[in-house]
Amino acid sequence: MTSAAQDVAAAVAETGGARIQIEGLAMQFGELRVFEGIDLEVGRRECVSIVGPSGCGKTTLLRNIDGLLRPAEGVVRINGAPVTSPPKGVAVVFQMFGLFPWKTVFENVAYGLRMAGTSKEQIREKVPYYIELVGLNGFDKAYPYQLSGGMQQRTGLARALAVEPEVLLMDEPFASIDAQTREILQFELLRIWESRPTSMVFVTHSIEEAVLMGDRVVVLHGRPSSVREVIEVGLPRPRSRETLATDRFAEVREHVWSELMQEARQAERELQ
Amino acid sequence: MTAVTVRMPRTRELSPRWEVFMLRLGAGLVLLGLWEGLVTWLSPSYITRPSGIARVFWEVVSNRSTPLTQLSGSFWFDVQTTLVAVFEGLAIGVTLGVIVGLAMGRLATVEWALKYYVGALFAMPVIAILPLMTLWFGYTSTARLWIVVIGAFLPVALNVYEGVRKLPVTYLEVARTYHARWWNVWFGIALPASLPYLLAGLRLAAGRALVAAVVAEYLLAIKGLGFFIRSDTQSFHQNQAMVAVIMLALIGIAINTTIDAATRHFLPWFRREGR
Repeated sequence: MTSAAQDVAAAVAETGGARIQIEGLAMQFGELRVFEGIDLEVGRRECVSIVGPSGCGKTTLLRNIDGLLRPAEGVVRINGAPVTSPPKGVAVVFQMFGLFPWKTVFENVAYGLRMAGTSKEQIREKVPYYIELVGLNGFDKAYPYQLSGGMQQRTGLARALAVEPEVLLMDEPFASIDAQTREILQFELLRIWESRPTSMVFVTHSIEEAVLMGDRVVVLHGRPSSVREVIEVGLPRPRSRETLATDRFAEVREHVWSELMQEARQAERELQ
Repeated sequence: MTAVTVRMPRTRELSPRWEVFMLRLGAGLVLLGLWEGLVTWLSPSYITRPSGIARVFWEVVSNRSTPLTQLSGSFWFDVQTTLVAVFEGLAIGVTLGVIVGLAMGRLATVEWALKYYVGALFAMPVIAILPLMTLWFGYTSTARLWIVVIGAFLPVALNVYEGVRKLPVTYLEVARTYHARWWNVWFGIALPASLPYLLAGLRLAAGRALVAAVVAEYLLAIKGLGFFIRSDTQSFHQNQAMVAVIMLALIGIAINTTIDAATRHFLPWFRREGR
């Protein structure tokens, strides 16, 4: 146990010290206890993936980190300061994109900057850069309804990146996008993030995605859920399509899979 | 290789749009014919009928119809008076409606305080309080203005309230994540997100405003199309009165067409939003 804790400390230190510290976090909606006893640290240049069966509270945990939901117990600290409402320097990419349909791509990407009081000149300078970064050149005047799901999420990603966040929270960002586009976006996100790593918490129900993105993979289990295991991915960066073909990738994927399967089998037995 | 022939259905000789237009025109002509025929056949000669209206139509719209009383101005003057009252009332009523609707949707205290009153007033025929208005404002155009304002205010307030209550949670999460101030949440997110509701409310409001204005003119005997209809009918100039009725129908259609056109032009994203 001590060695595992030391490993985690080492991993966090390697990635520039902890940016996010989660201590004894528990969440409850009325009678329903969603999760409890969550302890987790995320480094300054580290990506932590969170997987778990649906309904285990992954998305709720992410909202606790952003301060959109108050936890029942425990505390989330970002840069050492306890989170009570959405802190500065945190951006979220939402599963359903959360784009404003009455705004163009440009205006949507500019939203976070505008709310932060960035000057018009700076917005005019920065927004095109992020639109280009996510590969949406030429679409700045398009409305969300004119874009495919993949392009809408590129817009959502650009809006999050534009505020140059220290913490990037990804709430199943590619879950409502078709399989081919999802793969393209995964590698683009990797490219963007690896060129300028920040703290990233990546919630997903796809095991492949969790392993591909994460430096560590957190597996949640149980009802109420808690951390079953934190798996060191240990795949070198930059990662690319070749990463998917490595033995290590297969090994980690199988490991995460068997963890989740045990859980699923147990649930099945309970039902019988 | 065997060639496969696919038989395409024969293209129609008339485009559907053309057919629909002809169908509409035909139905209109049949209805007019029925009216003309039934009145000629069954009713006394002073009952209005399409041919009678057609006979006086130009006389009325070219302002040559003699004013019957001092109150009734020329036809276009009355049209203008009613329209100005409707638009003034709409402007005030819609502005108030948007603000109250937003406040009810965003602030629980305002919601609890006002919800049932606004709902009850909406269900009540606004015209019923016209006599009270005359006590406060007399038989004046101010009474008409307020009755139009109330008529326009209620549907807008209720619809905007409904729209704000159905605001997708994600929009609010985005707003909170990026530290939007309350005025941005109200006017930058809640208002545009409820535009579909606001526009539905606006259509209702325009109809109700027009009804309120005309009935007020009718009952208070003040200048406008309502009084034009009343005085012409009472002096058996029913054909002239019908021209004013047709004018009111045209105004109603024009307002709704304008709302539709403005929606298409200024809100291209609207109607596709629900995809």
